[in-house]
Amino acid sequence: MPILEVRNLSVTYTTKNRRIAAVQGVSLEIEERDAVGIVGESGSGKSTLAMAMLRLLPKNGAEVGGEVLLNGTDLLALPEDKLSKLRWKELAVVFQKSMNSLSPVHRIGAQMADVYRLHESSASKREAKRRIVELLEMVNLPERVYKLYPHELSGGMMQRVAIALSLMHHPRLLILDEATTALDVVTQGQILEEMMELERKLGITRLMITHDMSVVATSCNKVVVMYAGQVVEAGLVKDVLTKPAHPYTQGLLRSIPSFDGEKSNIRGIPGSIPALDVPLAGCAFAERCEFAADSCRTSKPQLAELPDRRQVACHLRGGEIHAQ
Amino acid sequence: MGRYIGKRILTGALTVLAAIVLSFLLIHLAPGDPASILSGMDSPSPEMEEALRVKYGLDQPLLSQLWTYLKNLAQGDLGESISNSRPVAELIAERLGPTLLLSLTTAVLSLVLGTALGIYCARRAGSKLDAAMNGVSYLFDSMPGFWLGMMLILIFASSLKILPTAGMVDLRGGYTGFAHYMDVLKHLVLPGLTLTLISTPYFFRIARSSVIQVMSEDFITTLRATGMSESRIFNKYVFKNAILPTVTVFGITLAYIFTGVAVIEIVFSWPGMGSFMLKAIGNRDYPLLMGIYLILSISVAVCMIVVDVIYAFIDPRIRYS
Amino acid sequence: MGRTNVMKRALSAINGNIQLKIGTFLIALLVMVALLAPLLATHDPYVLGDELTAPPGAEHLLGTDGLGRDVYSMLVYGARTSLLIGVVAAVISGVIGTLLGGIAGFYRGSVDRTLTEVNNIFLIMPTFFLILLVVAMFGSSMLNVMLIIGLTSWVGNARLMRAQAMSLRERTFVLGAVAIGESKRQILFKHIIPNGIFPIVANTTMNISGAILTEASLSFLGLGDPNVISWGQIVFNGRSYLTSGWWISTFSGLTIVVTVLAFYMIGDGLNRVLSPKLRNNN
Repeated sequence: MPILEVRNLSVTYTTKNRRIAAVQGVSLEIEERDAVGIVGESGSGKSTLAMAMLRLLPKNGAEVGGEVLLNGTDLLALPEDKLSKLRWKELAVVFQKSMNSLSPVHRIGAQMADVYRLHESSASKREAKRRIVELLEMVNLPERVYKLYPHELSGGMMQRVAIALSLMHHPRLLILDEATTALDVVTQGQILEEMMELERKLGITRLMITHDMSVVATSCNKVVVMYAGQVVEAGLVKDVLTKPAHPYTQGLLRSIPSFDGEKSNIRGIPGSIPALDVPLAGCAFAERCEFAADSCRTSKPQLAELPDRRQVACHLRGGEIHAQ
Repeated sequence: MGRYIGKRILTGALTVLAAIVLSFLLIHLAPGDPASILSGMDSPSPEMEEALRVKYGLDQPLLSQLWTYLKNLAQGDLGESISNSRPVAELIAERLGPTLLLSLTTAVLSLVLGTALGIYCARRAGSKLDAAMNGVSYLFDSMPGFWLGMMLILIFASSLKILPTAGMVDLRGGYTGFAHYMDVLKHLVLPGLTLTLISTPYFFRIARSSVIQVMSEDFITTLRATGMSESRIFNKYVFKNAILPTVTVFGITLAYIFTGVAVIEIVFSWPGMGSFMLKAIGNRDYPLLMGIYLILSISVAVCMIVVDVIYAFIDPRIRYS
Repeated sequence: MGRTNVMKRALSAINGNIQLKIGTFLIALLVMVALLAPLLATHDPYVLGDELTAPPGAEHLLGTDGLGRDVYSMLVYGARTSLLIGVVAAVISGVIGTLLGGIAGFYRGSVDRTLTEVNNIFLIMPTFFLILLVVAMFGSSMLNVMLIIGLTSWVGNARLMRAQAMSLRERTFVLGAVAIGESKRQILFKHIIPNGIFPIVANTTMNISGAILTEASLSFLGLGDPNVISWGQIVFNGRSYLTSGWWISTFSGLTIVVTVLAFYMIGDGLNRVLSPKLRNNN
């Protein structure tokens, strides 16, 4: 059984006079010990997807539909108190802006201890501290970080703190939302390597939200490509990255640098994501696609499986054409 | 932290210096010659003119006159009041007490009230109550303080006859001891209420927007993801983060509150600097007016520095940098 | 393109934002009143009548003051004074603030540091007392009052424009202008200021409120221009008749409240329309 199963998840942001379909019927499965990368440019809905799975979207202003099954339990239907018990024990998250991931006016150790005692209410102060120092050491941070404030650490160190915090209760599923984006390439590489090491040790399943294909290439075994709120391609990293089937994936791959760390040869895809407040008749990518045919603009391609078990939503690459 | 405090002290000192230089320049730029401005007469007597010339070095170049002016001020000499023929510093000292009583009472009251209401509404941002409170805050912001005071007099004093309308004590009462304090308190109600009503919107808006801003910070999302309850997140984390900006503005709000106080004192005949100021305007007592301006500038600068030093100790971002 | 777009959005937003609608309506009404004062007034506001402190009635809509002048007619003519002082003072502060803020944010360096310090000083300084001192010493003509209010209230505008200039100078169209070889001054006036002006427009509307209130306070201290009628002066004059002629101060004060509130509504409404962050919060 997959550890996480997302079924037909959709998120619509509502403002006074507009409805924006940020995520449109996304389904995916994550097996135990997978490392899955969800990629897409900003506006593709990947972060909204993560926030919806974590049930952290604002209650008014966002409508969420579908199911998010964690070990068979639907997180979206769970009452608030039951969900609170699952949070951080079953699934934890690390956000992008690590500098802001903790309160700037409270000491790091005190905040972590506060979180520790949420689920270990009987733990004494000393036990909490011992555990936190242990966690800090695990991510290669000195003990003195316990007594410091967030602004006294560098971005890379704060990212390690955020990771230590997320590992506190041995979550089975860890979501990293652009967690290494703000860091320099060297620190990013180091942290990714440490992450994978910890995963092997602790048996963690990881879901990684990023716009950076190279991060996926080095640290994930599966990849899901999103565009305009939909999954356009999904499969094993070794298949998708070597033989991308969707024109959008091909474009994304062309835009990653050919040498590690050297971003000299970026060829972006011209155009931008279409407005999501009006339903589109055809493929969302058609306007930017160099292969687009007439049918692409009139009918929406559905996800279809290719022989190597990968899924693609494209009329030209094996997707079936649905008559309107 | 030392650097931060040093910078704030410098700003405070520069503010006082700017106030001094501005008042000095006014003496020289205003229509009429400096001697007549300082004496309040179109043509002062030769002896008086001579005395002023010696004291302010009026025949010296402008820069050395400024130096003399600064030296006089540094010795606490704010000049001579025209209408009272007494040192300005002495006169102001006599009147400072009632003004401070009124200012600080309302400053603290509106700070507490505004912040509490602001936090309360921020937690319900977008609700009907929040919208209504926002509207009320703009309404009181739009009222001239003196007019609100007059309306309160009309309601509470003239019609209902439950509160005194003028002064700080009942002169016929001749109360002493505890009764005296109660008497002052009774007289304080209406001017205090007026000032609190017009100053509260300021703190209300700062607290409200500060809480809303903190609630949208990433670390709040992180804490929610850990399963921490909303009430704990608010009481422990949002509160401390949101209250700090309110502390910083408290220092600079005093300038704003002093302005309100000066005008309200006149409405309620409160025996402070404001009422005094009205007389000084009528008598063209410029040394006294300038003295009031300087003393207020110094008071605000000192309060600002005190508040900022306290702030530097509360906020770890400054304490440890 | 950016600017016309913003203007268009602002116009359509006036329709969508109820605050803006009410505020704009009230101010339009007030401007009409000021322009048509001679037609709308029922009496000559400068003529002292025989009926002293007559209560509101058919002959005198809002009663008369202690000198027998018709309060309604005085309010109608007072609109001219208050609007003129408010608008001129706010425009002066808008121009100074935009220029100084634009220069500080665009040129940075020591100009910026000096201006930031001046900014800090003005934040602490009890400006009202400075205004009062100047008006007392230089005379309380309308021109003096407008000038001194304008000269002392530009700080907020400068802060806003500085922030705008600092973000705009990094934008591609400005960098492009630099590359083409346009001079710094050209860039400042052609790109930075026109593109960053909108928050200052909103703030200037709010500053009109502030100027009207300051003028009212000055009038209340007896420092209003004695040759014109202003709302603050009517409140001031009514103070002596608070119990015997409550209408004098009450109606003149209410007029000030409504006017100031209307300008706040426009300013706040414009801010809301232009800032997506605020818009989402409400």
